[in-house]
Amino acid sequence: MPVFSHSDYLAILLSLRIAVVATILSLPFGFAVAYLMTYKKFRGKVALDVIVNLPLTLPPVVIGYLLLLLLGQNGYIGKWVLQPLGVKLIFTWKAAVIATAVVGFPLMVRSIRTGMETIDERLIQASRTLGAGWFDTVITVILPLSIRGLLAGSILMFARGLGEFGATIIVAGNIPGVTQTIPLAIYEYVSSPKGDVMAMALCLVSITISVAVLIFHEWLGRRMVRAD
Amino acid sequence: MELRVAAQKQFGTFFLDMDFTIEGRRIGLFGPSGSGKSTLVSLVAGLHHPDRGLILIDGEPIFDSGQAVNVPPEHRRISMVFQRPHLFPHLSVKGNLLYGYKRCAPKDRKITLDSLLEVLQIGHLLGRGVKNLSGGEKQRIAIGRAVLSNPRMLVMDEPLSALDDNLKFQIIPFLKSACEAFAIPYLFISHSLTEMRIMTDRVLSVAAGRVVGQMTAEQLARNSMGDSSVGYKNLLRLMAPRRIDGMYAYRWGDGELLISGGAGLQETLYELSATDIILFKRHPEAISARNLLKCRVGEMFEAGDRIGIGLECGSDKLVAVVVREAVRDLEIKKGMEIYAAVKATAFRQLG
Amino acid sequence: MKSIVGSFFPVLIILALFAVVAQAGDINLSVAASLREAVTELSGNFSKNNPGVKFQNNFGASGALAKQIENGVPADLFFSANLEWMDYLKEKKLLDEKSISTFAFNVLVFVGKPDLKVKTMQDVVMLEKIAIGSPKSVPAGQYAVEAFKKAGIDKQLENKLVMARDVRECLMYADRGEVEGAFVYKTDAEQMAKNVKILFTVPQEFYQRVTYPVGLTASGSKKAEAAAFYKFLQSPGAKGVLVKYGFTVK
Repeated sequence: MPVFSHSDYLAILLSLRIAVVATILSLPFGFAVAYLMTYKKFRGKVALDVIVNLPLTLPPVVIGYLLLLLLGQNGYIGKWVLQPLGVKLIFTWKAAVIATAVVGFPLMVRSIRTGMETIDERLIQASRTLGAGWFDTVITVILPLSIRGLLAGSILMFARGLGEFGATIIVAGNIPGVTQTIPLAIYEYVSSPKGDVMAMALCLVSITISVAVLIFHEWLGRRMVRAD
Repeated sequence: MELRVAAQKQFGTFFLDMDFTIEGRRIGLFGPSGSGKSTLVSLVAGLHHPDRGLILIDGEPIFDSGQAVNVPPEHRRISMVFQRPHLFPHLSVKGNLLYGYKRCAPKDRKITLDSLLEVLQIGHLLGRGVKNLSGGEKQRIAIGRAVLSNPRMLVMDEPLSALDDNLKFQIIPFLKSACEAFAIPYLFISHSLTEMRIMTDRVLSVAAGRVVGQMTAEQLARNSMGDSSVGYKNLLRLMAPRRIDGMYAYRWGDGELLISGGAGLQETLYELSATDIILFKRHPEAISARNLLKCRVGEMFEAGDRIGIGLECGSDKLVAVVVREAVRDLEIKKGMEIYAAVKATAFRQLG
Repeated sequence: MKSIVGSFFPVLIILALFAVVAQAGDINLSVAASLREAVTELSGNFSKNNPGVKFQNNFGASGALAKQIENGVPADLFFSANLEWMDYLKEKKLLDEKSISTFAFNVLVFVGKPDLKVKTMQDVVMLEKIAIGSPKSVPAGQYAVEAFKKAGIDKQLENKLVMARDVRECLMYADRGEVEGAFVYKTDAEQMAKNVKILFTVPQEFYQRVTYPVGLTASGSKKAEAAAFYKFLQSPGAKGVLVKYGFTVK
């Protein structure tokens, strides 16, 4: 029976925490982007669509490296914005959250968009003619009717976040207790000849969490159908 | 209320170019499918913007491309009723009804929930969700929602088209009483002449994105008489029937009309097609039709390739349609006495 | 990045299968990362003097290499950065026991930016982030952790240690400024460092001497060229090359 070390428990907690924070942080941005893509026409809409979906097709390692170039000591944002403010992101827990958020963002936007696109256009027209401005309409009509999409997007992003490795290891490093998530811990064990048992044990933990998340998603989906 | 529109809009291959001024409290907008009625209405409500032009309500501009005026829909105070109810699924009946009311400035809130519930008779639905309501209930709530926002004008885009006939003529009284009780001017779109005649006074007729003409609802119906598919339908509001021989007798003109079928309600609206009236120069001794009316010929007018003949009977009127040859043969002239025969089964109950 | 091939053994197995298709005169070396330049030169010299002999060199962390060999990656000689991984394969009967001998020695140092005021192990505690090779598979990291324990600073360094895949990656992190310093081998620091310099040498009393054993694998011992190369490594010429790169040979 494998015994988890202190840093193994930390890895599990860290994975959960990073995935949750990344998801919560991405929700408002994901909603805003989905709203723009669904309801607004503007120049450069195609470009925005491409940029938002890029992380889906890029290898996570590439995303990690691009983030490093942007946010590192010599990066564009790093040098001109972060350093003067005394903010260090690379190799911190925050970088892990950013990497996870970036990688999962297209999944969230897609889910929310799919939900938004099914909203009856006449409902929005009705709310406008009844006296609700665009922001009022967003909060009182579009948001409540997008809940399903928001939920699906959150769960997808959370699950993806739990498994994030490539971008995380580059931009947040493998720091036990700080940025070493479950995938990074497993990676370390896999490189070690004596680590197979622990690697397997952590794999099982990872699988268990994923199964729990999927079951929760199903249950939530059913509850919403019943509430209709 | 006065509505002035001079606007142009390109919508794909469809080009709308309308210039008109129309007055009244009960305005109709009539035309075939694709003639631009819905487009015009969405421009007035502010849901879309003309490419150029102006829109004025009671002299106040709500859109003017020349002066860069474009009042957003939420400030125009023009609410809409659509063909389908489009109620907010995530709000209760009460939530739906009060949506516009809450967003109305307190000083403008003349119509209140309680008074509306009475008029539309939906008080018993108040606590419910909107999913399991009948079509008629939903449309009444949609009307209530639009009215409760205390608009200065109500726009109704074919609000009855999706309802079956029975329901249609049940809803019409609610619609009328809500607008009359609260003195809301409205713009009513329909492709049904009957609905137009019941709901509106002045009608704007449009086709292919252009204004074709402006007239009363009656004139519109008369003009469409030439269409054999539509014809002219006499609308008769009859009251206090008496039951006789399995039929209902209503006071009309100098005598009575006998109608078979019907439900014996205190007040009923009936439809009688102008082509179902047979004219006799002299009193026929015996005919099978149960109704034989002695009338005076009033106006006569062209109706396509036939002639429409206005018949006056006491203080009531009817319109009959006959072919030119018949007019010649019977030597029908204005002012002469004539007999009109109508079968008891020719009347169609509307509501 | 460096040594991606070295750390992903499934990928490597596929590549290795291709390698096997190559000439029979090939010698496969699995070499600890810190020996990269030295062994590359040594194998190059051997090739020059023995035309027809080609080398397939695989560099990486000793632990990772040991695991690969255990999983069937072709290797004729194994150069480890500590005795542990050599013993590990010896137990699995994958090595020619008689051939195991000491190849070189090294010293652990701490590198960082030249203006950093760090002179002893105690000073290191003040820093925010330090890179070491992952102790689970990188001997340099194992030595560093041993040194932390003996110096009594291991608890204080918790949450400050960035795990690298091998010593070269440690150096890269320090070079780029993502960590304030790294524990690497003296030989790496002297050869590779651009923006960092050696701030102090870790006192030898805190860790076991860094010993590089080398040995023929069971399959390698059957190859004439491999055995010949092994003998070559004992020669004074070969030792000279090691010294040139900063290793100690006694």
